Amino acid sequence: MKLTIPCLLVHLTLLRRSFGGQALLSAIILTMFTNFTIAQDMPLSQVLIDGEDWEPIAKGFNFTDGLSTDAEGNLYFSDVKGGTAVFKVDLEGKTSEFIKDAPGISGLQWGSDDRLYACVAKEQRVVVFDKEGNETELVNEVRPNDLVVTHDGNLYFTMTPTKEIRRIDPEGKMTVVSEGVVNKPNGITLSRDQGTLAVSDHGGKHVWAFRIEKDGSLSSPGNYMEMRTPVKDPEIAKGDGMATDVHGRYYVTTAEGLQMFDPTGRLGGVIATPDPSMGLVSACFAGPDHAYLHVANGGTIYRRKTKTRGALFFEKPEEAEPLAARPMPK
Amino acid sequence: MGAGRGSGLVVISRSASFADSPAPGARRNTARLTDCQTAPFPPVSHLTMKRLAILFSLVFASAAFAADEDYSPGPDAMVKEGVPQGKVTQHKWSSEIFPGTERDYWVYVPAQYDGSNPACVMVFQDGGGFVRENGAFRAPTVFDNLIASGDMPVTIGIFINPGVVPPAKEGQQPRKNRSFEYDTLSDQYARFLLEEILPEVAKDYKLTGNPDCRAICGNSSGGICAFTVAWERPDEFHKVISHIGSFTNIRGGHVYPALIRKTDPKPIKVFLQDGENDLDNLHGNWPLANQQMALALEFSGYDYEFIMGTGKHSGRHGGSIFPETLRWLWSDWKKLKP
Repeated sequence: MKLTIPCLLVHLTLLRRSFGGQALLSAIILTMFTNFTIAQDMPLSQVLIDGEDWEPIAKGFNFTDGLSTDAEGNLYFSDVKGGTAVFKVDLEGKTSEFIKDAPGISGLQWGSDDRLYACVAKEQRVVVFDKEGNETELVNEVRPNDLVVTHDGNLYFTMTPTKEIRRIDPEGKMTVVSEGVVNKPNGITLSRDQGTLAVSDHGGKHVWAFRIEKDGSLSSPGNYMEMRTPVKDPEIAKGDGMATDVHGRYYVTTAEGLQMFDPTGRLGGVIATPDPSMGLVSACFAGPDHAYLHVANGGTIYRRKTKTRGALFFEKPEEAEPLAARPMPK
Repeated sequence: MGAGRGSGLVVISRSASFADSPAPGARRNTARLTDCQTAPFPPVSHLTMKRLAILFSLVFASAAFAADEDYSPGPDAMVKEGVPQGKVTQHKWSSEIFPGTERDYWVYVPAQYDGSNPACVMVFQDGGGFVRENGAFRAPTVFDNLIASGDMPVTIGIFINPGVVPPAKEGQQPRKNRSFEYDTLSDQYARFLLEEILPEVAKDYKLTGNPDCRAICGNSSGGICAFTVAWERPDEFHKVISHIGSFTNIRGGHVYPALIRKTDPKPIKVFLQDGENDLDNLHGNWPLANQQMALALEFSGYDYEFIMGTGKHSGRHGGSIFPETLRWLWSDWKKLKP
């Protein structure tokens, strides 16, 4: 008995050593004969690139937030505490003021109408800017935190203190689409096909998924993803800003780092926070090919190159792209 | 090259029934894997019900990667002349416990069920695969044969697919709820069975309320789900079958061996099957996780059976031994009152 289990381990080790040369054959057979469907596994190694690390691309701000991108891959962000502008980092890495006199913004996203939608947390308004920076107010006397805008022009925003998710339809009418489901609704994103809305809980440990109905209302809530939590606070992940990639993976900033989930809600891994002494509050794919993951981490914006690309919701919704066949583990 | 690969068979068990009297089908399939073994199995008389028995054979077969495909359904999974055949009906269910989800399920009613007495119940996760006539398991046919031969009681099979939240618009994908339902460690799936599905099926058939007469079976995430249902509700389900069970960290299921060792044993009879070539990925290592489960069940004195073969992450091995697994699981049935 004492010998048998170690023997088995040795046996498994031997098996693995002889495994590599037959990996291809094995992969083919696996594909042919696996007789019930399992979801594809999505480890961090499918996203991160060896040797690539976080690099700061914009520094010296107070509290960066609201990361967003446009079709070219320029990055937009705000300095929610103290800043007075919407900033832009272009593809050459140069930072400039894109919209002056726009303080206290906590969420930004370009719509399919080429306008930039914004949660002005400080002034309790949701507004939209045209390309020249002219502002139009959509709603006021609200408590917006973050937003997402679908291709067909439905804007969903989180109201963290009141446990609400609200919608502003293309005609500008506002409705409450979820109340009391998510404890502190914060970050918000869509599935790549824009049929599912995902909302992170800043006061819990789940990312919730909702079905977006034809009329824009929400149904079918599910605490679909369970975020890793700090040891000292095992029930509160501090879920914050969210992003989606072209393969349908979800990304959410948390107290433990940037957490990645596969489209079926399984945790794929946690990407370390660039500067753990500061909060991680917003994430966005931007840059060339939208292949660079960007995060707002205190007063600094960091980016790192990835093997994937961001889903862009101002573009026509598409199915999540399947991943290429994965080589067998070595 | 001559390196080839190993194929071996491990049986860890508190009871010797698998070695004692394998069914023709099971024997055929296990024997094929050990054709080249140099030492035969120890005499089965060395094994007792109360003693851990480990049968371990290690061979290097020349036919690389033949193992998984060598497992195939045996004679008890084939329709036999003269054996009465049960009926399978297909249904749809919209759940409230998993809000917005829809799913198909199938109900198998054996020919011997006449409504005079409650039937035993067996629930299957990923039910569509188990109920398929040409699948790896062919559960309705196996049930027909084993009920007719007296190896298992008159049992109504409920084969349930995982839920999806269907898309609202054309061109959108459903939200797949399988991992959430099966991999989550909670009583939610047990409540789904007890509050939604079983009462619905019980509208048409007399179902047992005796937990000894209620079994639950699944593959992969459906396997850990079967264990979770019994672990959460041992007052309702006492019999579990897990093939290639995902006792790994998909959603925290890797903790079960530790929980089992430090929890007052529950009255659950557990069958586990896995294969040496099962998954090793970001969630964990399936062969090691299933060994951990088996030895934790052993440590805490459970009535369990563990079969380790050479298969991959497929239902082939579990399917090939399925009739024998059911014989073991239901070996006490004549003493039970459904």
